[in-house]
Amino acid sequence: MEFSNSCSSFSSSSVDSTKPSPSESSVNLSLSLTFPSTSPQREARQDWPPIKSRLRDSLKGRRLPRRDDDTSLFVKVYMEGVPIGRKLDLCAFSGYESLLENLSHMYDTLIICGKRDRKHHVLTYEDKDGDWMMVGDIPWDMFLETVRRLKITRPERY
Amino acid sequence: MNYFPEEVIEHVFNFIASHRDRNSISLVCKSWHKIERFCRKKVFIGNCYAINPERLIRRFPCLKSLTLKGKPHFADFNLVPYEWGGFVHPWIEALSSSHVGLEELRLKRMVVTDESLDLLSRSFPNFKSLVLVSCEGFTTDGLASIASNCRHLRELDLQENEIDDHRGQWLNCFPDSCTTLTSLNFACLKGETNVAALERLVARSPNLKTLKLNRAVPLDALARLMSCAPQLVDLGVGSYENEPDPESFRKLMAAIQKCSSLRSLSGFLEAAPLCLPAFYPVCQNLISLNLSYAAEIRGNHLIKLIQLCKRLQRLWILDSIGDKGLVVVAATCKELQELRVFPSDLHGEEDNNNAAVTEVGLVAISAGCPKLHSILYFCKQMTNAALITVAKNCPNFIRFRLCILEPHKPDHITSQSLDEGFGAIVQACKGLRRLSVSGLLNDQVFLYIGMYAEELEMLSIAFAGETDKGMLYVLNGCKKLRKLEIRDSPFGNAALLADVHKYETMRSLWMSSCEVTLGGCKRLAQNSPRLNVEIINESESNRMERNEEDERDKVDKLYLYRTVVGTRKDAPPYVRIL
Repeated sequence: MEFSNSCSSFSSSSVDSTKPSPSESSVNLSLSLTFPSTSPQREARQDWPPIKSRLRDSLKGRRLPRRDDDTSLFVKVYMEGVPIGRKLDLCAFSGYESLLENLSHMYDTLIICGKRDRKHHVLTYEDKDGDWMMVGDIPWDMFLETVRRLKITRPERY
Repeated sequence: MNYFPEEVIEHVFNFIASHRDRNSISLVCKSWHKIERFCRKKVFIGNCYAINPERLIRRFPCLKSLTLKGKPHFADFNLVPYEWGGFVHPWIEALSSSHVGLEELRLKRMVVTDESLDLLSRSFPNFKSLVLVSCEGFTTDGLASIASNCRHLRELDLQENEIDDHRGQWLNCFPDSCTTLTSLNFACLKGETNVAALERLVARSPNLKTLKLNRAVPLDALARLMSCAPQLVDLGVGSYENEPDPESFRKLMAAIQKCSSLRSLSGFLEAAPLCLPAFYPVCQNLISLNLSYAAEIRGNHLIKLIQLCKRLQRLWILDSIGDKGLVVVAATCKELQELRVFPSDLHGEEDNNNAAVTEVGLVAISAGCPKLHSILYFCKQMTNAALITVAKNCPNFIRFRLCILEPHKPDHITSQSLDEGFGAIVQACKGLRRLSVSGLLNDQVFLYIGMYAEELEMLSIAFAGETDKGMLYVLNGCKKLRKLEIRDSPFGNAALLADVHKYETMRSLWMSSCEVTLGGCKRLAQNSPRLNVEIINESESNRMERNEEDERDKVDKLYLYRTVVGTRKDAPPYVRIL
């Protein structure tokens, strides 16, 4: 039987019927599965292939075979209001706690994860899609795969 | 049988374990129904909303073991929102205030809270076994309650749960007097583990047969643990990324040598392959090997390991094993009954020349492993010819799940649809109970399924079919169908509404991203008092106003199931029960 490019056939019945859920970024699904990685819209789907979350997380977090064992991941760190930034190797930390500890020491003030409020310096990060996100929601390994830079926000003033 | 006193009949019934047989027995006559209810110890409830706890307790007052399942299967793939339902608390509350002497609770896809676990731990003095599979909503504080209060705990088995790890001291909460553990699985915990507490616990549990560790348990601890538990049968190794120093490695080898009862291995999260040789001595006895989290174990390390596992019956592996690796499995593992091959490259980032597994691997396995009856196979491509060959080689399949990673992908050699291939499978495998189809498929495959799959109980369909006829063939043909789950396929109201009574013979139907409309669902619900018809529209909250509602709107997600207790009261706002 006639069969056209699999990219377009995927979009046949379901382009509009799968609406983005709050946890996924909004993406044109006809692109996501078969497009090469040059597409800026490309985003991993959370519901395909059909594997359980724990396996999905473990695959996302693993190191790709190309990388050597002495990995480092230097990212820029800015404190809001301070023009000169720092650089930090995230691979030197085992998790969020040690990262926060280190940053707090570096900037000589308590820095936390979570929502912005009036009292605290809160850590945020820019992910590979260019979005600014709250630190701490995803497993550490997954965070390392997606973080591009860090920003420490100042306590909110009204 | 009616001439025997009740005690004798009851004694006979106690030899019948299967809940299906028990259900059949209870339908024979009133007197058998009555006898059976009072002696049923294990109750299985496949859908927690099909019945309620009060009725359960009324009917089976002597129950000791309860199995409950909550969310539909597709919840495993993030298709069901967290607060959809499946709350265990009302069940535990009801059981707690009754006289039921609960000893075992097995939950799958349910929402469990610390409060529930605490109540559970305090309500049943003889509680022995807690098994939680794919559950969420609790933290290690709940585990601490179980550890502290369940004096006779034998089994704590946590499989694939989302547990908020407070890095507390839950392992410390097992009292020194607790020596009855036979099974402890906390592999899914993400935080740090109090290794010292764990070692003490294992040392005082001489009956411990199953131990599955999480990633926080390092290599030297593993060696010590195995030394004090040489009786282990089932071991889940944590992770050990660093290459071990010779001394640690030697100690590990020495410990493993003593574990002559070891039959099952899993874990190896982020394991360095150089540690594997320590396990070579036990490979010849292994029946079950789960390397699906061991992404770092590949190539020759993996092949060497597998070549030693001649008695393997169950193998779970990543597709990085490749067709070549599967050929080795086929040549080595002649006792293989169950194989699962999971995808390792979710983004298509890796070199396509190492194209994971294909039809070649599947055919090799089917030819080499005569006892194979269950398979879950994620692959990049498939052909009808391969499936026809597999069907000829393995007519004994009970479970056949094939997932071609790219939706709508045809036979990569002929460019035809895969209807004939799957048709061959259902025709040859007369005992097939579970089937998942994928790749490019028309309605024809469903005609074959309806015609031949007489024993089929569960069918999963994704991105398949052409018209409503496809779904109709299945509904009309598969007499034993219990669960049907469909996503992203062009089935609509005509198929949904053709035979409404069919759904009362099934546990449930799931349809997401299909063509069914709100109007169709409403009509279905109107004619079916014994069905709950649920519509899940998460992102449509701004369209919830009734006046904007259009019956022609397609429904995102439809989940319907039979029930004897009517509409549930615990659904969140975006779930509409018609």
